[in-house]
Amino acid sequence: MFAGTVVFALINSSILILLAIGFNLTFGISGVANFAYGALYIMSAYLSWTMLNLLHLPFWASAALSIVFTTISGAMMYRFVLLRVRGQALSEVIATFGIGLSILELFRYLGLVGFEYTLPVFWNESFMIAGAYVDIQRIIIVLIALVLVLGLWLFTHFTSTGLAFRGIAQDERTALTFGIDSDRIATLSVSFGAGLAAIAATIIIPLGSIAPDEGYDVLIKALAVCIIGGLGSTGGVIVAGVIIGFAERFTDSYIGSHWTMIVSLAAILLVLAIKPSGLFGQQKELEERI
Amino acid sequence: MERKRLIICVILAVMCAWSAAAPSVRAAEPIVIGVATSLGFLEGRESMKAVQMAVDEINAAGGVKVGAAARPFRVESIDLRDAAPGVPVPEALLGLEKIILEKKPTALMVGPFRSEALIAGMDIIAKYKVPLLGTIAMAPGSEAKIKADPQKYKYVFRTCLNAVHLVKFLAGTMGAINKQFGFNKVYVMTQDVAWARATADLVKKLYFDKSGWTVLGMESYPTGTSDFSSALMKARSQGAQVIMPVFDMPQSGTLVKQWNTMKVPTIMAGFVSPLAGSEAWKIFDGKIGGVLNTTFELGSAMAASKLPASTDFMNKYQKKYGQEIQAGHGPAPSYESVYILKEAIERAGSLESDAVVAGLEKTDRRGVMGRIRYDDGHQAVYGFDPAETSVSLVSQWTDSGKRVVVFPDSLAENMIQLPAGLKSLK
Amino acid sequence: MKKRRERIDRGIKARSEDVYALSSWREMLYLAGPRLLPAAAFLLLPLFLGAYWQKVMISVAVFALLAISWDMLAQTGMISLGQALFFGMGAYVSGILNFYFGMPPWIAIPIATVLGGALCTLILTPVLRLRGIYFSMVTLIIPLMLVRIIEATKIFGGTEGLSGMTPLPSTLTEIYLVTGVLLGVLFGLRRLMETDYGLVLKGIRDNDRSVTNAGIDIFWFKTQALFISSTIGAFAGALMTHVYMFVGMPVFALDYSILPMAAAVVGGSGTLAGAALGAVILVPLSEALRGIGGLRIVMYGLFLVVFTVAVPEGLFDYIQRRYHQMERWVEIDQ
Repeated sequence: MFAGTVVFALINSSILILLAIGFNLTFGISGVANFAYGALYIMSAYLSWTMLNLLHLPFWASAALSIVFTTISGAMMYRFVLLRVRGQALSEVIATFGIGLSILELFRYLGLVGFEYTLPVFWNESFMIAGAYVDIQRIIIVLIALVLVLGLWLFTHFTSTGLAFRGIAQDERTALTFGIDSDRIATLSVSFGAGLAAIAATIIIPLGSIAPDEGYDVLIKALAVCIIGGLGSTGGVIVAGVIIGFAERFTDSYIGSHWTMIVSLAAILLVLAIKPSGLFGQQKELEERI
Repeated sequence: MERKRLIICVILAVMCAWSAAAPSVRAAEPIVIGVATSLGFLEGRESMKAVQMAVDEINAAGGVKVGAAARPFRVESIDLRDAAPGVPVPEALLGLEKIILEKKPTALMVGPFRSEALIAGMDIIAKYKVPLLGTIAMAPGSEAKIKADPQKYKYVFRTCLNAVHLVKFLAGTMGAINKQFGFNKVYVMTQDVAWARATADLVKKLYFDKSGWTVLGMESYPTGTSDFSSALMKARSQGAQVIMPVFDMPQSGTLVKQWNTMKVPTIMAGFVSPLAGSEAWKIFDGKIGGVLNTTFELGSAMAASKLPASTDFMNKYQKKYGQEIQAGHGPAPSYESVYILKEAIERAGSLESDAVVAGLEKTDRRGVMGRIRYDDGHQAVYGFDPAETSVSLVSQWTDSGKRVVVFPDSLAENMIQLPAGLKSLK
Repeated sequence: MKKRRERIDRGIKARSEDVYALSSWREMLYLAGPRLLPAAAFLLLPLFLGAYWQKVMISVAVFALLAISWDMLAQTGMISLGQALFFGMGAYVSGILNFYFGMPPWIAIPIATVLGGALCTLILTPVLRLRGIYFSMVTLIIPLMLVRIIEATKIFGGTEGLSGMTPLPSTLTEIYLVTGVLLGVLFGLRRLMETDYGLVLKGIRDNDRSVTNAGIDIFWFKTQALFISSTIGAFAGALMTHVYMFVGMPVFALDYSILPMAAAVVGGSGTLAGAALGAVILVPLSEALRGIGGLRIVMYGLFLVVFTVAVPEGLFDYIQRRYHQMERWVEIDQ
């Protein structure tokens, strides 16, 4: 039982990390708060579903197309909406929140709720680990989470674009003097974030179904992981993902299923109240609180 | 000459207009049925269609006799949105009030999804004195409210199954499993909503505790839970033989998927809403063989060959709308409610709400779901024999993707089959 | 010949700014009109409306109050994404007082207003130091968490909520109570924000460090602004409990957070009157469009986007400008 819980806690942590890295890239690293993140996640899932079931494309093609399309729509969202309110954090929040709301509620309005809206699993097998059957899909999630986190870390530390991302987050004006086009970088960061959301959706949705409500949950979870881990820190995302992931599973197993959500929400509140820059955040202490 | 022609034209035009308008003037004013529910959800949508179907049938057959005149029905609908999480109850109730005040319906049908909204809405119903024949919300709290103040709340009726009657069916299924295989260890998982928890508690109190079952655990899950591994692992390690789920949200299919991939050696018997319709086999890639699911009212998504009325209803629906009913809750009682209302109006001979309510109370109808009568809490009585009461049914998914009725005995087509890998204790 | 557009104050505005405002009825009307007209409309309209639209009017006033409370916070530099917290707290306190202690609405509502406001202030005090978006996140999360806590602990009726509250005597009482409070709050707060006290609050929004440097304890002022704002929200919640005779988890729903924000953004934040104007436009519009169901939330979302991006000053500002100023074409000096 304990070993099984640990296994599922690890899986849960990987899911949380996967959900959060896209948001972390846009908000944590380049400083754009994309509150439409959950909506983009759901949108890419519906896109895949549509191409798979209505256009009868093979799964890999529809998944790839929807990831590309979501990436592009992230860039468009920045270009046509966010650019005009860039720098005013609160307007950014309100505008992206509005976009997310419209997308999610549009799907709800269209009646796309039900268990028929789901994506196929990659490989339908399960095997025994630590006294519990675990399906391959969940193992794949863990692996992809690891790969993406590593990739993101390499990207932000060793490529010039990645370094530019961190540059505009640390000090936009200084970055400008180094010839970094902050608008271009911000566009890229929003679109990469959207693309990561789409990748997460492609591999996580097959476990359940696509539902508009999930979009709000994804946003909250991504926020939780990023806040606790600390903005701008890839390592923080991992630690925070693991903390929340284990806390959720262990509360579920040993305290009660309906306390699970409360644990992560309470963790955010606590971290925000005590150390708003998160466990590993080191930048911008002065802008966060007074 | 010009002028004369003009006058003739005008006269002709007026005559044309008259003759076009005449039928609507001459025909009796329709009786309005207000369908107020969450139309965005499967159960609400299909219930609405079932109401429309009954109305069309009645109108085609000459309408409703009110005293001497025959009047047709007309359906007006409004989306209460109450099933969507996060929609405040007051906002749903405002929709209820809107349809009452603007469309002046003689009766309301289908009604709110959430029991919370129904119970709060009863005060509005009582205020405007419009009978409501509910067919979705299930918590028994509303009956208690009716019984506490019958004069005030007598306008609220429920044609669908309620949690108390559902308990009988769940307990009956568990009894059958126990009798056939000797199983007596159960793990209960429910949605964290009023009716589902009430149902599980009642099954425990009225059946499990009295019949020597061990309840290994009872967990309730907030809407939107996406990982059920803890409970499934507990069920496995504690040696559960049966898992009883009670879930009504579309997302709850996740539980069935995870139960399947985690290979928990148990019979899954209870209620999971996405498993009700014939489409479920395709949606779950055929991974649901052996699962027992409750169809709340005979005719909603599942008919029984032993009661032809239910098969007829399913067929008529499929013919009219080109697709089978998928909602295991709502359509059949909604269809019946229209006929119940028609009979009540004809019995009362007027549209005055107190008279209609008196007429509704005298309902005794044989139809799609068996025999329908209301008890003193204005709840349709459900039991095991369609000749005596309305019935629900429990069906099992076979490994070839068919649903076979296994309970109650009066309708059963086969015995419960043990899923592969499980051993009977008898 | 080239021309440009010039915007200048209307003569009557200049005339009515001073003691000359008393020189004629026209000037006095010019000053009083924009204030009296909405007040008169709010007071007279209920008498002519049908029962359903009377209910809508209550909704309008409730959302206007929430929007004003949002705007009040925003003017102090705190952007809340969770007005539902204030609304829900008032609703629950009033519901509990009525349900468990049998207090009549006339006592329960005022107590709930003050107590609910105080509770919200208490909950948010620890995070008052947070700035900008961090404060917003906390306010977004707290209502969600309270819902889960009520769900998990099953206190106060759990998922079913409490029903059967004592209603107010009649719909007209409800309307006049809520519109009376709305008008009082609107004009009172508008005046308050004009005083030095308001200046300090706005100063905190513009540059909190400068205000601290001036030797002013900004947390004390922020706490006060929070209390004023949450009291207004709590009153709206407390009233709704008795209008619908029900209180439950949905009072913390996202709608109560989004609609007020949308109203304030559409009407124009920073004026309070704009927030009320936004509610007066959005709520009836969304009721009229109830037929399109969930699409209206999509609409709110789009309003939020369009107005923050394209018309950040909001409708009220536009109307005000039109009222006080005029535009004309003038020749450009070569």
